[in-house]
Amino acid sequence: MKKNNSMGEKQSFPYFKVICLVIALIFAFFGGREFYELRHFKETFVSAPGLTEVKMLSDYLSSLKGTWMDTPIFVYDSGVPGGNILYMANVHPYEPATSLSAYILMENINVTKGKVFVIPQGNRSGSTTGMLGNAYPKFFHVPTSFGEKTLRIGDRGTNPLDQWPDPFTFVHYPSRQNLAYQDIRNMNRTYPGRENGTLTERASYAIMELIRKENIDLSIDVHEASIMYPVVATYVAHERSFDIAMMAAMMLTATSFDMKCESSPKGLRGLSHREWGDFSDTLAVLMETPEPFIDRVVGPMTEELFTEGKDEFLATAAEHGLTYVPYDLEFGSPLWYRCGRHLSGALEVINQMNQFYPEKEVIVEWPTYEDLKEHDCGYFFHDPDKADPNFVFEI
Amino acid sequence: MVFLEQVIHIIYFIFAAFIGFFLLRNLFKRTSRTGRVYDIVYAYCIIPFLLRVLGIK
Repeated sequence: MKKNNSMGEKQSFPYFKVICLVIALIFAFFGGREFYELRHFKETFVSAPGLTEVKMLSDYLSSLKGTWMDTPIFVYDSGVPGGNILYMANVHPYEPATSLSAYILMENINVTKGKVFVIPQGNRSGSTTGMLGNAYPKFFHVPTSFGEKTLRIGDRGTNPLDQWPDPFTFVHYPSRQNLAYQDIRNMNRTYPGRENGTLTERASYAIMELIRKENIDLSIDVHEASIMYPVVATYVAHERSFDIAMMAAMMLTATSFDMKCESSPKGLRGLSHREWGDFSDTLAVLMETPEPFIDRVVGPMTEELFTEGKDEFLATAAEHGLTYVPYDLEFGSPLWYRCGRHLSGALEVINQMNQFYPEKEVIVEWPTYEDLKEHDCGYFFHDPDKADPNFVFEI
Repeated sequence: MVFLEQVIHIIYFIFAAFIGFFLLRNLFKRTSRTGRVYDIVYAYCIIPFLLRVLGIK
């Protein structure tokens, strides 16, 4: 097909350009479908019957309502006066063994004194996108008696679709400390947050409001760390909670698994173990488990690496003394191990709080490290199809 | 400030749409670098801007 242009010259129909565009649109469709699937996928869990209330983070800061940072808070109130505890997971959604541990906790929790608040998706926005440039799988699967449970593997920070652009330098509020630019979307660098700040700062502020308004006595922030990073397999505690964390680390090391304890540095701002303690009366503790998946030297980023934690490059690094926890290919760092560490780590620090502060006592049960070692993670989940619909939730 | 943040965020999407449109226009109407390799590059580069405008990535 040919037609005349204004100069009277004949032009060909741009077949090649149109073909290129059509092929690009096909790629965009198939690629976009993958991204869309992760963005809108819902994780399902069945709560234990002790659930008394489901709040939203926007209950503590209304400007979060309708945003992707609004996230559910599950409350288990024994009805018996005691202390209040917060268990917060997936602040960094590329560490999703933390949300898995929260689901196992909530499916099996039994509180007989005090009140427990659980946030399984601390940064819900960040859990809806993959880590940019890292070729992570979108999901991981946990085998259960009723089929596979699917959970998202997200990014470290808030999804750029929800907060963008990043500045050249992130100036932390209120310390005015200069941090890396991408940390403006990192929830664990934006505490104590601000009421009228960026989306991530507002979510951090809402968490602070939750801690202050609900009089949370002990706040536990669960994370995963690369094993070539010194702060791994450890508690990081604010100075007011250092005694209970140190005692908990000693007890765990003596009875179950190696656990270190570090004091929260006063000069590094924006982190939960620092700002939660400084801007509220809570006892702030952060926990880290070993997650080889996020180490820099590992091979292909596969779901198997995520669930089993076995990587030969990392094993070689360990042989040369470059890792901060013992590591070998035979054991790796499987999901049950990482979740079990968090669940027993939280129980032990609660136990120590009960001993140091009897007036804040909380009596609670959920599966422990030993339980997960014996049964693996999937054993503790309940079939949503057979459960009471009032206790089935999608996040 | 929340409103200002929202405005900046929306402008970012508008910019993505503008650049996507600019790339589309230059795919069909450009005077320099008229080779087929550049057709492929222009078509390929439209993808992220299109997805961003659609709120997918």
